[in-house]
Amino acid sequence: MKRRVVITGMGMVTPLGLGVEKTWQAVCRGESGVGEVKRFDASGLPVRFAAETCEPPAHADDEGDLKLRLVLAALAEALEQSGPVPGERTGVCLGSEIGRPSLEVLSKRLTDMTPPTADEISRMDPAAPTRLVARVSGAKGPQSTVSTACTSSSQAVGEGLLRIRRGDVDVMVVGGVDVLVDAIMITGFAKLGALSERNDDPKGASRPFDSDRDGFVLGEGAGILILEDRQRALDRGAHILAELSGYGCSCNAYRITDSPPDGRGAYQSMTAALRDAGLEPEDIGYINAHGTSTPMNDPSEAKGIIRTFPNTVPVSSTKSSMGHLVAACGAVEAIVCVQAIRTEQLPPTINLERPDPVCALNHVANVAQSARIDHAMTNAFGFGGSNGSLVLSRHD
Amino acid sequence: MLLVLGDRTAVWYFLVMTDATSVVVTGLGFCTGLGPDPWAAMSRGETAVHDSDDLKELPHKTAAVVERIDLRPWLKRRKDRKLMARPSQLALAAGGMALEQWSGATDALGLFVGVGREPGDDGESEPSLVAAQVDGRLDQEAVAGPCRDLYPPLLPLKTLPNMALAHVSIHLDIRGDNGTWCGGSAAGLMAMRAGIWSIRERRSVGALVLAADSWVSAGCVRDLLRLSKGERITSPGEAGVAVFIESLASAKQRGAKVLATVDVSSELESSRKMVHHGSLGDCKAADSLLGLALRVKQGPGREVYAAQELGQPPVAVGLSIEESMACYSAERKVLTDV
Repeated sequence: MKRRVVITGMGMVTPLGLGVEKTWQAVCRGESGVGEVKRFDASGLPVRFAAETCEPPAHADDEGDLKLRLVLAALAEALEQSGPVPGERTGVCLGSEIGRPSLEVLSKRLTDMTPPTADEISRMDPAAPTRLVARVSGAKGPQSTVSTACTSSSQAVGEGLLRIRRGDVDVMVVGGVDVLVDAIMITGFAKLGALSERNDDPKGASRPFDSDRDGFVLGEGAGILILEDRQRALDRGAHILAELSGYGCSCNAYRITDSPPDGRGAYQSMTAALRDAGLEPEDIGYINAHGTSTPMNDPSEAKGIIRTFPNTVPVSSTKSSMGHLVAACGAVEAIVCVQAIRTEQLPPTINLERPDPVCALNHVANVAQSARIDHAMTNAFGFGGSNGSLVLSRHD
Repeated sequence: MLLVLGDRTAVWYFLVMTDATSVVVTGLGFCTGLGPDPWAAMSRGETAVHDSDDLKELPHKTAAVVERIDLRPWLKRRKDRKLMARPSQLALAAGGMALEQWSGATDALGLFVGVGREPGDDGESEPSLVAAQVDGRLDQEAVAGPCRDLYPPLLPLKTLPNMALAHVSIHLDIRGDNGTWCGGSAAGLMAMRAGIWSIRERRSVGALVLAADSWVSAGCVRDLLRLSKGERITSPGEAGVAVFIESLASAKQRGAKVLATVDVSSELESSRKMVHHGSLGDCKAADSLLGLALRVKQGPGREVYAAQELGQPPVAVGLSIEESMACYSAERKVLTDV
């Protein structure tokens, strides 16, 4: 008999706002968090827009680092909902990508000749946010950091589920964070041909599954979930938001940048998650797709969805509103799925004006839909071919 | 032989251990400064820790460098090597070796990788960053112009931490359960732990567990010196290590030679002193899995021979900003301005 795992706290910081409720309301209203880059002068860059995060107030423990500030803000919101979770039976697993300082920071250091401190060097470790979250939350159990590009936090949430099921811990603080909007990352991803170059219409730039899509919009943010053994949550009278019922992952083993046209990796990941949850395809009432808005990803994912779900399950990509949060997207979009179950609203894919015929899905296009669903799935597929799928369920 | 890994609470399954839930090692692969069989070399008292040309101007001068990484048996396309940072190359070489004894399909295998911080880019970004600076300051026009033109388009995809997993999965055609763990020297054990559970929970029929890291460049050694705050550092090393695991039932069915049993238990292996540091250097994220794999290679009843660390002068710290940021800064020559 598997231990069941529930969610008792959620927090997020996104380009649409500080907090779950603000982001959720904005997503359902079809707003866009994409705009011209404000953090630095991007006027000469090939891509001059991004989904810059809403910046929370400084935190005493953030060491002046935006990534740490975001993850602390998301953690504070999640813990306010769940209540404190310190102790040896609480672990932490976060998805995080690179710890490299931005080009602006590096350049400034070259100018003022200040040597980096040992703390600054240690922040280059992708595990730095994990260590901080463990310290601030008082979690003394196992810590781990998953780094699989855009799949990072999806796999971190999955790791949390498995650890509680196995009895390693009773509580897991899981999620992800990423801050990538700087000149060098925009330059690099633009040269890869991965970014939308719709400079004249930033809010219309992220358009997953649309015929006129031309790339993803770089975003940034953080999402944290408090996972808990269901019986423990019931015993302490916690407010249970949803159940995390399944997790699956796969490798494409195809190419570094491209998805296999037949969607095999996506199919394998989604079927593994369904099997893990003990569900049939027709049980899923909504899919929050990875839906990056790149010419390559969307058809591949659509093929995978069609192969996995013979029925016409509603699908949307909230990256259309908040951009691609990279290592944070899996956790943030899992929270979106919980909100869809709780509020009985399916968030839309905005900018979906001419659905691409090769992505023939049952789209939730442009306007949120009312629907009572019991189970939702969220996908995250990363550069390098790592795939992760999570199943979120109404708690009975 | 029973090897133990990580967790104090996972006691219950000892009660129900069967051939299907017992996890065994049936393949090993090494890419180290002492070659593909470091145990044999260590037994002869050899060490890979030597003076390194790259470090001659730094206070710490020795490292255990892998002289040659032969990827030809594993690469699907030879040009793909250019896309690989050094840890990815080390991982692929070790992974291919450990998988040689597996004759079954690879698409249902799991792949679990322990890595360190973001690997360096071998200086490929330097020309663009040099071009982006005017009088030591970032110049936005230069970023948009000459910097952009010089920036290697695939660079972000070379240095992401998950690229070792990506390249190994592509070239060895592994498609199942997976993950990449970052977390200092314990990363390899975290990967091993995930692999054991993946077998036990039947999410994988077998799994390749890998760890790879490289700290032998001047930039890495500078960071180590700064972090040491005046203390002597262990000579850095680099390694790729791979352990192939499967259930005992699977090994019996295909007649595979069982090298060891692996399990989880209450003690973190990574907390023990790594006896191979004197021979292979401190390989950071590869360290704990390297220690485990050497113990498998060592077999029961034998002790790992620990070569003596080479004599090193006391380390001076307080290096300049240019040194610690050489991989980003203007010219290569700053590497030598100690």
